[in-house]
Amino acid sequence: MFAYTLTRLVYLALVLAVMSVLIFLVTQAMPGDVASMIAGQFASKEVVDAIAVKLGLDQPLIVQYGHWAAGILRGDLGRSLVLEQPIGPILMEALARSLVLAVVALFVVAVVGIGLGVLAAVRRGKLTDQLVSGVSYLGIAVPDFFWAIVLVLVFGSYMKLLPTGGYAPITDGFLPWASHLVLPVVTLVLMLLARIARLTRSSMIDVLQTNYVKFARAKGMPESVVILRHALKNALLPTITVLAIDFGLILGGVVVIETIFSYPGMGRLLLFAIQRHDLPLIQATILIVSAAYCLANLTADLLYAFVNPKIRHGMRAS
Amino acid sequence: MMTAPQARPAVPPVVSPAIAPEPAPLLDVRGLTISYGNARGTLRAASDVSFAIRPGEVMGLVGESGSGKSTVAMAILDLLGGGGRVDSGEILFDGVDLRRLSPSERQALRGDRIAAVFQDPFTSLNPALTVGHQIAEPLIQHKGLSPRQAAARVQDLLAEVGIRDPRRVAAAYPHELSGGMQQRALIATALGCEPKLLILDEPTTALDVTVEARIIELLAKLCDSHRLSALFVSHNLGIVNRICQTVTVLYGGVVVETGQTGRVLSRPAHPYAKGLVAALPRITAERRHRLPSIPGTVAKLAGPPAACVFAPRCPFAEETCRSQPQAMRTDEGGDGVRCWKADALAGTPWPDEDAASDRRPRAAQPRSAPLVEVDHLRKIYGASRSILPWLRRAGTVAVEDVSFTVGRGEVVGVVGESGSGKSTIGRVLLALTEPSAGTVTFDGADLTRQIGSGDQTLRRRAQLVFQNSAASLNPRKTVGAAMDRPLVLAGRADAEERRRTVASLLTRVGLPAAYADRYPHELSGGERQRVNIARALATDPDFVVCDEAVSALDVSVQANILNLLAELRDEMGLSYLFITHDIAVVSHIADRVLVVYGGTICEEGPIGRVLRPPYHPYTEALLSAVPRLAEDGQEAPRILLEDAATAPGGRGCVFAGRCPRKLGTVCDEQAPPVHETADGHRIACHIPLATLAERAAVFPELADGDTRH
Ligand SMILES: Nc1ncnc2c1ncn2[C@@H]1O[C@H](COP(=O)(O)OP(=O)(O)OP(=O)(O)O)[C@@H](O)[C@H]1O
Ligand code: SF4
Ligand code: SF4
Ligand SMILES: [Mg+2]
Repeated sequence: MFAYTLTRLVYLALVLAVMSVLIFLVTQAMPGDVASMIAGQFASKEVVDAIAVKLGLDQPLIVQYGHWAAGILRGDLGRSLVLEQPIGPILMEALARSLVLAVVALFVVAVVGIGLGVLAAVRRGKLTDQLVSGVSYLGIAVPDFFWAIVLVLVFGSYMKLLPTGGYAPITDGFLPWASHLVLPVVTLVLMLLARIARLTRSSMIDVLQTNYVKFARAKGMPESVVILRHALKNALLPTITVLAIDFGLILGGVVVIETIFSYPGMGRLLLFAIQRHDLPLIQATILIVSAAYCLANLTADLLYAFVNPKIRHGMRAS
Repeated sequence: MMTAPQARPAVPPVVSPAIAPEPAPLLDVRGLTISYGNARGTLRAASDVSFAIRPGEVMGLVGESGSGKSTVAMAILDLLGGGGRVDSGEILFDGVDLRRLSPSERQALRGDRIAAVFQDPFTSLNPALTVGHQIAEPLIQHKGLSPRQAAARVQDLLAEVGIRDPRRVAAAYPHELSGGMQQRALIATALGCEPKLLILDEPTTALDVTVEARIIELLAKLCDSHRLSALFVSHNLGIVNRICQTVTVLYGGVVVETGQTGRVLSRPAHPYAKGLVAALPRITAERRHRLPSIPGTVAKLAGPPAACVFAPRCPFAEETCRSQPQAMRTDEGGDGVRCWKADALAGTPWPDEDAASDRRPRAAQPRSAPLVEVDHLRKIYGASRSILPWLRRAGTVAVEDVSFTVGRGEVVGVVGESGSGKSTIGRVLLALTEPSAGTVTFDGADLTRQIGSGDQTLRRRAQLVFQNSAASLNPRKTVGAAMDRPLVLAGRADAEERRRTVASLLTRVGLPAAYADRYPHELSGGERQRVNIARALATDPDFVVCDEAVSALDVSVQANILNLLAELRDEMGLSYLFITHDIAVVSHIADRVLVVYGGTICEEGPIGRVLRPPYHPYTEALLSAVPRLAEDGQEAPRILLEDAATAPGGRGCVFAGRCPRKLGTVCDEQAPPVHETADGHRIACHIPLATLAERAAVFPELADGDTRH
């Protein structure tokens, strides 16, 4: 397991290094020129050139990349051109808010989705199963922004129960903080729930047909033990992977939902940076999003290995 | 503990009802009728099944696949899944009808007083829980033990089922154990609460012969010492003969015969039982003998039988048989048979295969160059080189160093247990995987180089037929389409001509040409295997690798396919590499045999020589583990091998870890020399040939002076 983790971390570092090069090159190719943006619309060419020299923009690309990468390694993500602030703290705040969203939403998805999936599998073919299957089909067929809009209209505009957007830091008190979270979280849950429930249902159905479940029943284990101890632990493996990937996705920003609810997470930050041509901010944000995504994947694989003794031991042996 | 000759009378003493009152049966199944219902209709999987098992008695339940054996076993456990329903009947356990109990009362009996062990140990243990935990569960559930008390009991149980290292095994996860150890753990689980009845559904079918022999011995011993009753579901008559006192034969969900094992297997009364016994491949040194088979497939009933269920396949059927269902006729000894002609047929054996199709062996081929030559073949899987040191892997050696030849028109058998490298040898020969070292020459050309240079003719000339006939055919393609592909690949452009070829190939393997339009699910297992053979023949090969080609089939069908393969060899001059774990099957078809262990050939020679002493110690153990019927001859003392402790490897003899005749460190440290005799019999062992020759024959019934030397 240790060797495996180490290997994966080395790969992760390699992937991120390659990503950083790609990000750097792609953003360089984007329209807009940093020096003229800083100088302002009416600055003379001399001024622009002077700024370029000062920022090292006249240097070859490889040297520029070297500076950027070295900065990141030191923990310095650069300065935002538009906000005129260091990028690090801005990014960290957005990331923290996305993290809150991801953790709360996925917790609900995991508990409810797995619960529904197990219920449907156990009552396979019965009314409960058809209900869960029907509803989750609806969940998959309907696009995510639809729920967002419906929720905003119903709870925000008509009933005026909840704020329809924005974010309140927890320092403002728990209630305001939580009430701002409700709608985006519920939307995310509706978006992800169906897939998790269906996945859990189908893998649970497979596991319920295995010989070891039959053997557990032959041992006279009560049905609750058969389902929770014998079946669920094995049935959860694919679900865990998908949950972890979803986690990475939310952490990296869900642009549509963040926009509709004006939730200041990673997605909105990236959108902002792109609209304003804030190159350093774009680069740093994409890099962090990629890192978050890769880490989520890694966590998924490690978690999978941890739950699955076969893999865990295979790793130890190698 | 290495050798344990087993002395059990072939026919156990029966208490005559006249002298002592019959003990009340522990399990008394009466008129059990079970059906499966689904969208396609109902299937009656058991019709009016009745039998009784007395305390301390082991009853065998035999029959072809799909005859309803597992269905009956599962009904007793109340574990019929998938739409299965008991329509009527009683299941009396200790005088109480289980069907009248509530689900929770039955659950409380399960694992406590009625315990079960199923077929596949590899999938019967939960991969996510430790073995000890799984054995402890019923102890905690039924006996109210604390986890600590249960853990202590688990160690005792594991020791009782012959596990040498209970502490390690209890803490292990299932995948860390060998199949034999997993099956022992399952048996320990079943024994935990000291049940009175064991339900054993093919408990050794998935295991190697040598492991099977030990598990059967263990089960026999446990049933004896604990006075356990058992229902032993099996399709293997040899094993039933070894462990069961009585046997019940099931056909199409109907009990057709029941009685004392010795009597039923030596003098079967019902035609179906006669057929099953006749089709069983016995060890023989006479290859040219055609095996009797039971044509047709198992009956599937939708309702109560209106005629004798076996009539469509019975060679003795008459009009009477087809017009009325048969009643069970029971004699005073308790033996029953469901056939009105049973008495009249008492002396009549199952008919032999059509004598006309019995072909004379072709004159031995002049010593020409062999078709396939394998020289110092070595194959390592999973070796990887990497810049990251912790990723470097030595890999597992599947084939260590193997050299042999296959002559034109010759059948070479490869026997050995799972993991011995049998299939890898076959795959390398077909260029499906590249050898790590060594060469394979096919008809004078280097195979690997030829394939590497893009020449596909060799691929056409060598074909594969393998075990899982269901998985090897695409369910969405008709038989004709599946057979068309290799023809197209072989460059046969004319569609009409291809269609005619397909038809003639189907006829060739004994199927109606109209089968070209069928889908795989419309075929029986035997028919599917015929299609696979027909497909392999499509490109007109010289050489066919049969990898466990008949292992998944019932004996009745297996005999049929073996006959077909033998016929094709005689008529088309095919060469086969016949890979199997079943020595009896090999003895029917092979000219020469390779006995492989741990990726090396430990013995090689003409079949007649390999079956007689001198034996390699591994061959001897393998042969003595083959379960047989009593009438086939006196059983030699069985040599029981330890479960494999360490993976073979290192410099010495690969068999040293399990060899009952190991000489000492010389076996561990030096590769054994090869003793070779003039007729091509080779044994790799440190023991001198003369000493090896002193052992008694495992099959004394094989007459000396076989023609195939
Ligand atoms: N869940 C099910 N639904 C429908 N039919 C079934 C089901 N299980 C078994 N059957 C059918 O019932 C019949 C008896 O099956 P069963 O498994 O009892 O046979 P078996 O004698 O144990 O065979 P095998 O030797 O292959 O294990 C077969 O025709 C089979 O196809
Ligand atoms: S009753 Fe007739 S068909 Fe049935 S087994 Fe007897 S002889 Fe054959
Ligand atoms: S060489 Fe030694 S260990 Fe190997 S088979 Fe012969 S006696 Fe047994
Ligand atoms: Mg079965």
